[in-house]
Amino acid sequence: MLIFNREFRRNLKMLIIWSVIISGLMILTLSAFPEVVKQQKAIDQIIKGMPTALIKAFDMDVLNISDALGYYATKGYIMITLFGAIYAVMLGGNILSKEHSEKTIEFLLSKPVLRSNVITQKLLAVFVNVMLFNLIVAAANYIGFKSVDATIDFKVFASLTAAPLMLHLLFAAISFFLSSSLKKSRNAMPISLGLVFVMYFLYIVAGIADKYAKIKYVSPFEYVNAADIIINKGLDTIYMSIMVGVIIISIFATYIVYRKKDITI
Amino acid sequence: MAVIELNDLTKNYGKNRGIKNVSFSVEEGEIFGFIGPNGSGKSTTIRTLLNYIYPSSGMAAIFGKDIVRDSLTIRRHTGYLPAEVYYYDDMRAGELLRYSQSFYGKNNNKRIAELAERLDLELNKKIEDLSSGNKKKVAIIQALAHEPKLLILDEPTGGLDPLMQNTFFRILREEKQKNTTIFLSSHILSEVQRICDRVAIIKEGEIIKVEVIEALIRNQFKKITIILANDQHQDLAIEGVIKQERLGNRVHLLYGGKIKALINNLKDLDIKDLFIEEPTLDEIFMHYYEK
Repeated sequence: MLIFNREFRRNLKMLIIWSVIISGLMILTLSAFPEVVKQQKAIDQIIKGMPTALIKAFDMDVLNISDALGYYATKGYIMITLFGAIYAVMLGGNILSKEHSEKTIEFLLSKPVLRSNVITQKLLAVFVNVMLFNLIVAAANYIGFKSVDATIDFKVFASLTAAPLMLHLLFAAISFFLSSSLKKSRNAMPISLGLVFVMYFLYIVAGIADKYAKIKYVSPFEYVNAADIIINKGLDTIYMSIMVGVIIISIFATYIVYRKKDITI
Repeated sequence: MAVIELNDLTKNYGKNRGIKNVSFSVEEGEIFGFIGPNGSGKSTTIRTLLNYIYPSSGMAAIFGKDIVRDSLTIRRHTGYLPAEVYYYDDMRAGELLRYSQSFYGKNNNKRIAELAERLDLELNKKIEDLSSGNKKKVAIIQALAHEPKLLILDEPTGGLDPLMQNTFFRILREEKQKNTTIFLSSHILSEVQRICDRVAIIKEGEIIKVEVIEALIRNQFKKITIILANDQHQDLAIEGVIKQERLGNRVHLLYGGKIKALINNLKDLDIKDLFIEEPTLDEIFMHYYEK
């Protein structure tokens, strides 16, 4: 576990920074909830005045903002899914390609360690970091809900925690695969970052314009849509299966490609 | 026993330089030089031996084990010194060396301290603050610390000052005493001449010659300098002259024929002075390279 230990220590600072910032944002958002309930009427007026496209894009037509989870879904949830995905691709896209771009891979692979072992330990470091990030943010959310005395359905809360985790693992696995298979492995991170933004954009566009509604099935952001989770009181089995499938395929492909790759420096 | 054995090892790199049907073997306990100009395929061969890249055809074995299938076992008993050293900038030299050693499951702190002392390296310095020469020293120590049975050194002396080169060569000779096999690539021929038992010459991806150093220098070539009495311009068309250079009344020859034939050809010339010397490896190889 030498490589895992080193990667964990090396990435700890980034984990702490991202977790603290996102957790802070969540607690701040939730602390405003009592005010929102108080001004419910005024807010209803404002929402009515907003363009329907915007209302639909942010699911304000189906979510009740005076319900704590509904409020969280429209305000905080999207920050976690989007920023978490950015964090995940930065982690997954960098951890292996850094060894290539800084040419330290020559040192590492001259030691008695199998390439598959390098992959295993680095992937594990990425997944553990992503899970810890989600755990810390979930804890912050829980504290946030408790501090405003909100009564929340625990199953829905658990689903709203698990869904972003799946999304982050998905993007981490894809960016890791790209970094192992691209000839210029340092391109993996910017490409995956672009993928995150494109997917997010497609999700928003599909929400605004009815004629593009079908696009939403392409975007994993749709798979973790908070409104659906709240309405169905749980995760969509098909969407989750697709995500798990893509994660598993990415991991397998990483092992297959990287084992046979010519390491040219 | 052959420690390294290459059989028609070939690597095609798309349109780039590769290696073609490279075959030779390195015996246990010898220091084997691998020379050729830049881009001739030295590093490609080494990278294939260490399984960074996969051979296109042919095969090679180290310790009698296949370089692809048994790469892990091979690397456990091999020390590799890269031509250019790239390490983790956030580590200190000592940290890097401990990290390196932990892969072998050995604790060689004593040997690391000893080598650092001899090479005059401060272990508590950050890698990013080290000069290229000092980085090279870290690389030398990480290659030697686990007492490997085989050392693969790619252009080992680059970046080391002459004093350090001496220390390094002394360390290599001690390793040889311990029956360690050493395979080193270089384009600096004097260093190969100084330390190697045998050499393989590679050019444009193909092996031109494998030879014992002495044979290469003594048996075949002579460096001949003729100083003519006057500035006569006759051509010395002697069979066996590989290279001819004329500077005023001085004629420099690299000669591979019989000495008696040379004397017969020279006897009618008005010669003021004549030198017959051993050529340096550089002079021999300039000839191979130029062809």
